[in-house]
Amino acid sequence: MKIQEWVSKLPLWLYACLVLPLLAFGLSKQTAFYFSVFEIPRIWTDQAMKDWELPNSNPEFSAQPVSEEFYYNLPERVIFKTYPVYHPDHEPEGYWEWLHEQEAEIVFDESKLVTERDWVKAGELLFDYPIDTLGAVINTQHVRNSDFYTASGMPLTPEGVMPFAQWVVAGKGKVYLGNLSCAMCHTRVMEDGSLLKGAQGNWPGDKAFAFAIESDGISERGVQGITNILFGSPFAEGDPHGKLLDSGRQSITEAYRAVPEGAFGRQGTSILYPPQAPNLIGVKDRKYLDHGGLGQHRNIEDMMRYIAMNQALDFLNFYGEYNSLGLTKERLYNGQPIFFPGTHDRHSEAQLYAIAKYVYSLTPPENPNKPSGLSERGRIIFAEQGCVTCHTPPLFTNNKLRPADGFEIPEEHYDKFDIFDISIGTDNGYTMKTRRGTGYYKVPSLLGLWYRGPFLHDASLAKLEDLFDPARLRDDYVPTAFKPHDVKTKAVKGHEFGVELNDMDRKALIAYLLTL
Amino acid sequence: MDIGYLDIVVAPLRSLRIFLCARCENLTLGKQKIQMSISFFLVVFFVPISLLAQTIKPENPIQFKIKNAGITVDGTIPGWMVEVDFDPKKLDQSSIRGSANSASIQTGIQLRDKHLQGREYFHIQKYPEIHLQSKSFKANGKNAFIGIFELQVRDVKKEVQIPFTVIQIGKQRNYKGEFVIDRLDFGMGEKSLVLSDEVRVYSEF
Repeated sequence: MKIQEWVSKLPLWLYACLVLPLLAFGLSKQTAFYFSVFEIPRIWTDQAMKDWELPNSNPEFSAQPVSEEFYYNLPERVIFKTYPVYHPDHEPEGYWEWLHEQEAEIVFDESKLVTERDWVKAGELLFDYPIDTLGAVINTQHVRNSDFYTASGMPLTPEGVMPFAQWVVAGKGKVYLGNLSCAMCHTRVMEDGSLLKGAQGNWPGDKAFAFAIESDGISERGVQGITNILFGSPFAEGDPHGKLLDSGRQSITEAYRAVPEGAFGRQGTSILYPPQAPNLIGVKDRKYLDHGGLGQHRNIEDMMRYIAMNQALDFLNFYGEYNSLGLTKERLYNGQPIFFPGTHDRHSEAQLYAIAKYVYSLTPPENPNKPSGLSERGRIIFAEQGCVTCHTPPLFTNNKLRPADGFEIPEEHYDKFDIFDISIGTDNGYTMKTRRGTGYYKVPSLLGLWYRGPFLHDASLAKLEDLFDPARLRDDYVPTAFKPHDVKTKAVKGHEFGVELNDMDRKALIAYLLTL
Repeated sequence: MDIGYLDIVVAPLRSLRIFLCARCENLTLGKQKIQMSISFFLVVFFVPISLLAQTIKPENPIQFKIKNAGITVDGTIPGWMVEVDFDPKKLDQSSIRGSANSASIQTGIQLRDKHLQGREYFHIQKYPEIHLQSKSFKANGKNAFIGIFELQVRDVKKEVQIPFTVIQIGKQRNYKGEFVIDRLDFGMGEKSLVLSDEVRVYSEF
């Protein structure tokens, strides 16, 4: 009674104060979300998409993404529970049949995400989630065939799991092989068999695709068609991809097979100039995304845009009047869905936000290369040789874009972008002759070199030792990692720093680089 | 191996020794001396130094030091000229004016030189020269002076205070000074965790 009396004497304004939070936050199903501090941005606005990406090196053919209206009319992805893919010789007995007994389980529920940790955990799940079940790169027949693993040199975990694809169960008996997760290109099977998520991946995707071409008996026209969809850029000087298509099925297949693990000819790039798979550990601190710095990275919204765009929506881009799927703008915007992997649905903003949060949370594993007298000597050489100018500690990049040979920097770029206006003479194919080319290469971070490789933007060198080997500058050099399919030797030019060091200094410098 | 600022402190003493040797060579009329212009000879031998401005193309480059990633980077700007009209007894009528060709910068690494010549630093396409013009002088002890100069790097003009010495050796004078600038004051590069803002500059002629 005493309490009731006491409560009844409380002034009205105090009651009002107690109720205010409810008025402010509401009582909807999203209540839980209000207790987190996250405000999820709307990323695909016409205004934001206009200048988020850098122009193409041939600016008339800069990417024109789909409109805001088109984007938000795409249905949001439903995220089902996935299951590991085993090498057939390692698959647990009865696993395949068991998978077909499973019911679909939806595993992403935004309303349950409250804390930062929740978002990061959900982001990891989405990072691993394949957005394609149509067989964009490989399909069920391939992964259930032992020859596939031998032909592609597929890395496996000690349990025999192939971690670059997943089984998606969309209902009882509906078991699909899922492709095109972030994890596909950004997961590395380490030498000890452990998985390092977010690292420069070692998925031999193009070798796997070469296997698919041959095992499925895809016709020449079919191989030319898909290769054009992936890499066609007829506006590029000399149209190298057009020439590749003309070279025929066998030659195209060889071009796929020439791309080493650690590089991948993702859409809009090239198998003639394949990009090294980027290391995402530490990406939070990078100002540009892609080797050519195509996407600006000014905030988490830009990262979300990058994820949305690069999980296949760039297939819908127009470059001038060119679209690699053969679409016209009338067809694109006539309201009918486009059934091509990754283009008929989209991640929700919450899903993108979670993936970005996860990617930002990635940290490197403990480096086994501890500082030593030798590495200390290397640290001084690193400073003396001026490496710090571009690979500036603590990020070991100055986060700038440098022009490739043959690219003239437009005057207005100096105010818009971070430019280090000197070319270091590396191969310019990727950034001058592809849909994603900007005319620039970003200065890469050297953090985590010890778990990465092959090196350089085109993955042409297998080891750091190769980078400092003066022999690589000669035309009779055989590149130790990526070597174009149609040559026997090729000089790996550019970035000639350190090639004149004596053996001892070179060893010291490498010892230092491996401690980063 | 991090010589750092210790080197900066002892460097002037080292350069003094170099200076003395250089002067001895000059007195013997060595090769470089012979290459000097006839007009310079006329100025040196027939006109009292304090009465007429001399245009000198110094043998020694402008030197600078900047700390980068824990080590001190030594650089030079060899292409420079100075016009001197200096009388220790008439400081208010004296003047020293210099200009340097920023494209001649050398740090021992070509890429770095190219970068320094670029628009982030000297931007030589637009600002090919660095200029220094005295505004006033005052005595600062025996053979020692302090000059207030206007230094122009890129399009930024700033006053700098330069302590210097003037030593008469025979009929020649040796001027030597050093000063520190903040590169950011002149729009040279951006704030960096590894590259010092301070640049120490040495000149001698």
